[in-house]
Amino acid sequence: MGRFKIAIWFLNAAFLLIMSGLFNLEIIQGRNLRGLGDKNCIRLISQRGSRGRILDRNGLVIAGNKISYDLMLTPQDYRQQDELAFKISRILNKDPKGLDSVIRRSYSLSSMPVVIASNLKLREAVALGQLRIDYPCITVQANPIRDYPNIKLACHLLGYLGEIDRWRLTKLEDYGYKTKDLVGFGGLEEKYDYYLRDEEGGISFQVDHRGRLVRTLGFKPPVNGKDIEVTIDIRVQKIAEDALGGRRGAVVIMNPYSGEIIALASSPGFNPEVFLGKESSSVLRLFKDPAAPLINRAISGLYPAGSVFKLVVASAALESKKINQHSSFFCQGSLRVGRQEFKCWGTHGEQDIIAAIAHSCNVFFYKSGLLAGPLAIHDYALRLGFSHPTGFDIPYEKQGFIPSPLLRKISAFRNWFDGDTANLSIGQGEVLVTPLQVARMMAAFANNGYMVTPYITKSIDGKNLSRYHKKPERLNLKPKTLSLIREGLRSAVSEPSGTASILSSTGVSVAGKTGTAQAPPKQSHAWFSGFFPYKEPKFVMVVFLENGGPGYYSCLIAKQIIEGMKAQGLI
Amino acid sequence: MRNSSLTILLLALLICILSVISIFSSTYQRESQSWQNIYQRQILWIILGVALFFTVSRINYRRFWDWNYFFYISSLFFLLLVLILGSVRLGAQRWLRLGWFNFQPSELVKIVMVIFLARYYSLKNADNVSLLSEKFGFFRALALPLFFVIIPMGLIIEQPDLGTGLIILFLFISMIYLSNVKLRHILILLGSILSFMPFAWYFLRDYQKDRLMVFLNPNIDPLGAGYTVIQSKIAIGSGGFWGKGWLSGTQSQLRFLPEAHTDFIFATFSEEWGFLGGIVLLLLYYLLIRQGFLIAQRTRDHFGKLMAFGISLLLSLQVMINIAMNMGFAPIVGIPLPLMSYGGSSMFVTFVALGILANIDKRRSVF
Repeated sequence: MGRFKIAIWFLNAAFLLIMSGLFNLEIIQGRNLRGLGDKNCIRLISQRGSRGRILDRNGLVIAGNKISYDLMLTPQDYRQQDELAFKISRILNKDPKGLDSVIRRSYSLSSMPVVIASNLKLREAVALGQLRIDYPCITVQANPIRDYPNIKLACHLLGYLGEIDRWRLTKLEDYGYKTKDLVGFGGLEEKYDYYLRDEEGGISFQVDHRGRLVRTLGFKPPVNGKDIEVTIDIRVQKIAEDALGGRRGAVVIMNPYSGEIIALASSPGFNPEVFLGKESSSVLRLFKDPAAPLINRAISGLYPAGSVFKLVVASAALESKKINQHSSFFCQGSLRVGRQEFKCWGTHGEQDIIAAIAHSCNVFFYKSGLLAGPLAIHDYALRLGFSHPTGFDIPYEKQGFIPSPLLRKISAFRNWFDGDTANLSIGQGEVLVTPLQVARMMAAFANNGYMVTPYITKSIDGKNLSRYHKKPERLNLKPKTLSLIREGLRSAVSEPSGTASILSSTGVSVAGKTGTAQAPPKQSHAWFSGFFPYKEPKFVMVVFLENGGPGYYSCLIAKQIIEGMKAQGLI
Repeated sequence: MRNSSLTILLLALLICILSVISIFSSTYQRESQSWQNIYQRQILWIILGVALFFTVSRINYRRFWDWNYFFYISSLFFLLLVLILGSVRLGAQRWLRLGWFNFQPSELVKIVMVIFLARYYSLKNADNVSLLSEKFGFFRALALPLFFVIIPMGLIIEQPDLGTGLIILFLFISMIYLSNVKLRHILILLGSILSFMPFAWYFLRDYQKDRLMVFLNPNIDPLGAGYTVIQSKIAIGSGGFWGKGWLSGTQSQLRFLPEAHTDFIFATFSEEWGFLGGIVLLLLYYLLIRQGFLIAQRTRDHFGKLMAFGISLLLSLQVMINIAMNMGFAPIVGIPLPLMSYGGSSMFVTFVALGILANIDKRRSVF
């Protein structure tokens, strides 16, 4: 009976199909579906650990944690107790009717506590905690939140905390980040978020299809984030920020030998605590502020270098043997290059290299720049760390720009003229640098020709990171070049006619270079870059004021900082 | 000879044990006592079912030949009664309240149709040698029996119980195939069913349309019509190879899976016993159905042969459709898993069918 056999075949095939379907569901998709099943019935009342602290070089807290009290209410046991609503609202000074709507808004499961008030005052928390004796459905939970004991201090280094955005979430999902997680934005908080962040713990429990509690499964203790120690000295940082006094600008103070950042201030600052609050208006105000307080000007601000760049020209000309210690040029107050008249800011007469640095004579550097040529200047600028990021361990560092004839030919199809070289020689034109790059260049003159990589992280979770920092690299500058430039820098301060002579009265032997970078139509940028003490430099310092006028104003701030540091015995 | 009836009973009882275990597990966390004791009722159905099995297996199946029309008429009567008096549960009017027992006549109709069709297609010529069905013309091969099938089928679909109605249609098609009706006629029938399909959409109820749409893509309505399929797939899948263990299936225990003790008992079972348990259960069904086919093969009497076929087909169709629907391979229709799902009607009818099967094997040497 042929039809009978066909029927049997059908039956066997159907059974095989069902079995393979079962295999597919339970073995191939099993793990996946089991996860979904667990998600159905396992819930977590989360408890956050505290985020890792950020400490300064002496172990003082820059960003720590404080306890915030939240009032939570389990809807399962609540059921419209007017009396309780009344008592809670009396303690919190709120309308009792609002309570119900808050519960309804954030309700997810009957057994899942709802936060009805956060950031309670200690007095309120204690009063509400006593209510728990009569009404077991309320809980006052203590949550650690970020605390900034010095308010605005070092805010750009820290960055701020905020709810994770979609872009970061898609990138970081695999590392266990979830929606509504607090993550760092900018600064150390962003860079080391993975170490700083705490591991969420809590009570996990099983619920049924209606969300009612079936049983608790266990408690997973939260794990605190790891502390990070930085090389900043908050005393110096505070002196620097006070000296800037809210004017737009930046200060960098660095150890010239290792590249540790002692202080890195950018002004104006912001209060990172604003981002923890729920008030979006004050956050919005920060974003809209024309003074751009969220920008870290020391690393992300790009400015023309001005006369500070003359040190690059000096080293290029000395190294390429176009000038030596005996070369001198005569300054009449201006120099004609091609058809254009290039001005000096004074009439200096006969100038050698040391005097030219001390007086910041433009004519001398026009001439030596033209002798050395734009390619050599570009080359030395790159060797001294310009036009590429310094490798600093805080995100959003800008790389800057140094023009060169080749680059201009290739990218802009324009020619390079001698006038451009003259402009480049005094750090004007297209030159763009960050204050940190200038500090790094100055460190090379302070430490006898080594290029350092600035860093801020000293240790993470007690583990010293010095092994991981890049070692200083030798620049192979001739000792003569270095000593000439150093002498020039010193005499800019020590000579009464030097541009930074105001710093001679600080009681510390400072060497440095001022800069006044033209930024038409606005006021010029004021630079000061130097190191001290002269013989055995311990600090490299850059002071920058955005549209702050002539370099003299930066010297004033530098003086204030040095005096402040000396007064506290920090030098 | 007695061996086959013993094998059938043994296999059926093994499946019943798994059924009681699963029903106990799916309900023991319920609050009310009546829910928690539901497994005891299932044990009672099983005992009564086994009693029915012994009774029926002692009745000569040839008597059904004579009782056929009585059965047919009374099942129509029951179906009409359901339409008039039936109690509405889960949105469908399928049950008749007989004292403390809720009887589902559509279960009974399945076995009655098997008997009816087996009798019809084993009519013989006056010389009592050759089968008539091979020589039937179009009218006697298709139209007339189709008329008799469509009346109960229509009544069942009207309840509404699309699943059982379709099972009867499947049964009809397979029985005419196996009774050597001309292939041409079968193709005509299939062709006309297919051409009717697009119009059938308009006769479906809204929830049936939803279920069909959800079958094609469960994610269009994950909290509504698609919920059951998704939860059932999760339940089966989360069993893995070894299963979560008895009384530890979260999907059924915490009631994420609806109907965990009736239509979706396979999901409940698979969650707790895993792939291993699922394969064992499938194997038990396979052996049981194979017994039926072997008996059909052994039997010389055409009436008995066709009836044995019909019963095995009925069992396999229900098993296949139910498990396929548990795994999301078939749209959700209210078809219980024979011997596993909770419910008296299905249990009794299945045991009666198995009893007939046992009897056919006992008597086959007589002819």
